[in-house]
Amino acid sequence: MAKKHKLSLSEEELVLALQRHDKIGAEALYDMYSASLYGVIFRIVNDTATAEDVLQEVFVKIWHSSASYNTNKGRLFTWIVNIARNLAIDKVRSKDFKNQYKNQELENNVGYIDKHNSTEYKPELLGVRELVDKLRPEQKSILDLVYFKGYTHTEAADELGMPLGTIKTRLRMAIQQLRKHFN
Amino acid sequence: MEEIRAYIESGVLELYVLGDMSAEEKLQVEAMAQKHPSIQAELSEIEKAMEMYADAQSVEPSAQLRDRVLNSLVINLGDDRNLRTVQHSNTPDTARVVPIQRTATTSIFYKYAFAASLLLLCLSVAALAIVYNRLQDSQQQLVSLRLNEQKFTRQVSFLNEEINVFRDPSFRFIQLKGMPKTPSSALTVAWSAKRKKVMVDLSSAKLPAPGEGKQYQLWAIANGKPVDLGVFDKTTADSTDMKLMKSVASAQAFAVTIEPRGGSVNPTTDQMVVLASL
Repeated sequence: MAKKHKLSLSEEELVLALQRHDKIGAEALYDMYSASLYGVIFRIVNDTATAEDVLQEVFVKIWHSSASYNTNKGRLFTWIVNIARNLAIDKVRSKDFKNQYKNQELENNVGYIDKHNSTEYKPELLGVRELVDKLRPEQKSILDLVYFKGYTHTEAADELGMPLGTIKTRLRMAIQQLRKHFN
Repeated sequence: MEEIRAYIESGVLELYVLGDMSAEEKLQVEAMAQKHPSIQAELSEIEKAMEMYADAQSVEPSAQLRDRVLNSLVINLGDDRNLRTVQHSNTPDTARVVPIQRTATTSIFYKYAFAASLLLLCLSVAALAIVYNRLQDSQQQLVSLRLNEQKFTRQVSFLNEEINVFRDPSFRFIQLKGMPKTPSSALTVAWSAKRKKVMVDLSSAKLPAPGEGKQYQLWAIANGKPVDLGVFDKTTADSTDMKLMKSVASAQAFAVTIEPRGGSVNPTTDQMVVLASL
C-alpha cells in the first residue's frame, strides 16, 4: 500500500519544496494533507466524483500559487484548507452543480462518510461524532454554515437572525470547544 | 493588555483563520500578530484546532487519485529539466525520419501513377484508332446502303408503274410474230392509245442477236408511214423487264428492225425481225 511510503516533511521543508516546484514537494503535500482536504471537500460537495475533481483543482492551484504563500500568513494548512473550501463552495454554488445535486443536510454527510469510507484507523476519529454532538447546537450550526457552507459571519447573522457580535462570540466558543477537545 | 485581550475575545482571529474577512482586515490582523506575541500564539492555537478538526474528519481518497493529481501537476509544470531532455532526444529523430519516408513513398506513388497514365494513354489511342476505322467502315456501308436503297426505290416505283400497265384497261398487249427469215422470234408490246404510251417486254423477248454495232429499233406504222419509237437492246444494263419507248397516239402495225447503233430515220425493211398488224 502507498500508505507505507507516505512522505512527510517539516512545514518549512515542504513550503520550500513547493516553491521550487520539486516533485517531492507535490508528493509530500499530497501524502500529508490529501485526506484532510478530501474530508472537508467531501462534506461540502457530498459527491465522490466532484470531490475528486475539486481535490485535483486544489492541488493544481496550490502548486501554481505557492509563491504567494509566506509564513507570516500563518500555518500552511490554514492557507491550503481555505483554498480547498473556497473551490468546493464555488463548485456547490455553481449552476451546473445545483442542477445536478440536491444538497443534503450536513448531519447526513457525517453519518454517510463514517459508514461508507474505509479510513485508516485514527484514535481521534472515534471522538468526532461525539465531538460534533457535544457542540451546542447553536455553535455547531454557526460553524457548519461558515466552515462547510461558506457563509460569511454577516450572512450567517442574517440567516440565523442574530446580531453580528453574537455570531462572532458563538463561533469563538465553538472553536474554543474544539481546542479543549484536542488538547 | 486589556486591549489585546478584548481583541482576542472579539472573535476576529477565528474569522481570520476561517478566511472570513477582506484582504485589508487580514493585513491588520497580520500586523497585530507581528506586534503582539500573545495574539500570534492565540492565532496559532486556533489554526491548530481547525487543522485537528479537519484531520479528525479526514477521508482517505481513492488510491488512484494520488497518481491522477500528481500527474496533473507534473504535466502542468513537472520537472522542466526532464521534459526538455526528452524533447531534445525525440525531436531530431522524428524530424529526420518523417520527411524521408514521405518522399520515398510519394516518389514511388508518382512513378506508378505516371506509368499507369502512360499505359492508359496508349490504350486510349489504340482504342480510338480502332473505333475510327470502324466508323469509316460504317460510313462506307451506310453510303452503299443508301445507294442500294435509292436503286430499290427506283425499281419499286418502276415495278409499280409496270404493274399499272396490267391494271390499266387502256393498254393493249400486242404479240409481234417472227418474219419468214426469223420464224422463232417474238416480242410483246404494250400500247395505250389513250395515254400514248408504248412499252416493250424485254423479259419475254425472243430476238436474233443484232450483231456488232447494231441495235433493235421499234417502229409504228401509222397511216402507212413508219414512225420511229426508239431503239433498245436485249441485254440492257438497267435490267428492266419493260422498257418505255417513244409515245405514239395511233398505229396500225408495230415492227422491229435491226438498225445501226443509234437507230435510223427509215426502217431497213429487209432487216425486219418481228411484226404485228392490228
